[in-house]
Amino acid sequence: MTVTVVRTVPGDAGAPRARASRLVWFLIVALAVLALAMLASITFGSLPTSVGDAVDVLRGTADESTTAVVQSRYPRTALGLLAGLGLAVAGTIMQGVTRNPLADPGLLGITAGASAGVVSATAFLGVSGQWNTVWWALPGALLAGVLVHVIGSAGSGAGLARLVLAGAVVTAVLTAYVQAVTLGMPKVFDSYRYWVVGALGGRDFDVLLSVLPAAGLGLLMALLLAPALNTLALGDETASALGASPGLTRALGLVAATLLSAAATAAVGPIAFIGLAVPHIVKAVVGAEVRAQVVFSAILGPALLLLADVAGRVVLRPQELMVGIVTAFIGAPALLVAVRRMRSGT
Amino acid sequence: MSRPKGFLVLGRTMAVPLSRVSAVTGLALLTLMLAACAATLSLGRLGIPLADLPGALTGGAGGKAAFVLERLRGPRLVVGVGTGAALGLSGALFQTVTRNPLGSPDVIGLAAGAGAGAAAVALLLPGAVPVPFGALAGAVLAIALVYLSTGTGFRNPGRLIVAGIGVSAMAVAFIQYVVYAVERDKATVLTAYVNGSLSARSWEHAATIWIVLLVTAPFAAAIAGRLGLAEMGDETAAMLGAEPGRTRTAAVALSILLSAGAVAVAGPISFIALTAPQIARRLTRGTGPHLMLSALTGALLLVLADLAAQQLPLPVSLPVGIYTLGLGGLYLGYLLIREWKKGTL
Repeated sequence: MTVTVVRTVPGDAGAPRARASRLVWFLIVALAVLALAMLASITFGSLPTSVGDAVDVLRGTADESTTAVVQSRYPRTALGLLAGLGLAVAGTIMQGVTRNPLADPGLLGITAGASAGVVSATAFLGVSGQWNTVWWALPGALLAGVLVHVIGSAGSGAGLARLVLAGAVVTAVLTAYVQAVTLGMPKVFDSYRYWVVGALGGRDFDVLLSVLPAAGLGLLMALLLAPALNTLALGDETASALGASPGLTRALGLVAATLLSAAATAAVGPIAFIGLAVPHIVKAVVGAEVRAQVVFSAILGPALLLLADVAGRVVLRPQELMVGIVTAFIGAPALLVAVRRMRSGT
Repeated sequence: MSRPKGFLVLGRTMAVPLSRVSAVTGLALLTLMLAACAATLSLGRLGIPLADLPGALTGGAGGKAAFVLERLRGPRLVVGVGTGAALGLSGALFQTVTRNPLGSPDVIGLAAGAGAGAAAVALLLPGAVPVPFGALAGAVLAIALVYLSTGTGFRNPGRLIVAGIGVSAMAVAFIQYVVYAVERDKATVLTAYVNGSLSARSWEHAATIWIVLLVTAPFAAAIAGRLGLAEMGDETAAMLGAEPGRTRTAAVALSILLSAGAVAVAGPISFIALTAPQIARRLTRGTGPHLMLSALTGALLLVLADLAAQQLPLPVSLPVGIYTLGLGGLYLGYLLIREWKKGTL
């Protein structure tokens, strides 16, 4: 990543106008990709419809049954937008805050925290239904995120391996708890196994509405924190000298990232690698400026997630592969390739 | 002729390195384990009373006691001791090779791979292939994938961990898909297996793990000395004639064989391989691989965890792997915080 930064910034520093116009072009391309992904998401499914059908429905000229079929895919597409945005922006902020290219909600215990919250609520408080469990996934995720951060990166020089290991520790303990509860209670197990696989289908607009405040707040915080995060990238001492307070920025950044990823996870279940991969793609495109990173993550995250979801609907037709599985099988090989390029000693 | 200090002299030509503190620790661990074994056999509603235990073990058991000993708890206990020892030994070998106190075959994807293999067999070939074979194949495949994707073999712990995370993520996604796709009863059985369980083990399981253990142990003992040298760094080891490259490969192969054997009989039990060598090392306050003591510690840990799994008054009986996962996770956290305070990680 540092290589990209060094390559991009000096070349552009002399020509801010050229950089701005390039960013506008990138923005147009990204939005076009997102629009295509959304169109694909309302076009493909177990019942055959064509792109033409989808366009007709959008213009209001399609017949009734086609309209019903296509419109049934709206909630799914909207959830994909929200979850993709939440995970990708959370990943961008987390990687900025921890200066760790591996920071990702799944690796840092947030997913396990959300799982533990959902399972506790279903098992012990009799909470049921997607709408209600969302409110228990959020505090679980927040607690786990803070815990991992405290164990893994307090003190000087947050080591890459240690943060990941702290995530593994918190995940292990919470997973043991979740497994113990779910194996003991068949009913809880039944709803949990559908949630944990990570899918966009089978959920309605209520779920979206219930996580919207958390996601919105997280996105707002991310945008407001972006300038402070730019300063943070210069190192703690330089940042302090410039009047920023690294500790506060970091804490608020963690809160924003946790709100976003917890909202996404609560709504659609754990989805791996979107939060890890999108920030890297975005950094390669727009460089080190955090606000641009946040904006592009918010566009490319949903695009990637919706495309993965469409792929999952197409490969096993007429059955469906859940999007969480598709992203894991696309993302993990990418991570393995990245490992080979890691510098030794990290 | 003076006796060499720190060695146990056997006959005229052999001297086995054995320090006094190791011997005392070993005896203490052995005593504790015998006590845990006795408790496993005698506690609870079906337990054989402690007074009858010697008689029952020497063949004087009849009726209920014989059933408990020969069918119910006997095989389970023997599998538990063997599996724990195999995992402890496997972890000790692996940690010495990677020179990383946090490296263990299950941290780098062996457990998740085994679970995925078991799930694949349960989903795709139900009944045709025994589940343990699937687990074995999955474990080997996962380790091979990690080995290949690091590009430097098992030498760089950072890369090893990250590659392990990647492989585990894929394996876990696959397990979740299978658990989602099959009916609830099958999903529950599979989830229990994927966590590692010792319930309902037979004497065949016991034979499997003990054969693996007895075949690998002599090789492990043979390379123990060189492994200790390899810990001093490659150059020093090479100068002392320890052939660090070959020793390392042999140790990793043995470690994976032991872990795979454990997976085949008990499913992927987490964290024993990670914690046992650490505990053994702290008990003796020394350096070196401590293979024997790690094996003893592993066996003790697993027998204790299984005792808890059998006797704790919970509304449901949980697979032993959940206890080791929870407690092992807590221990790993403690280890991390301690090393952070010392500033060594």
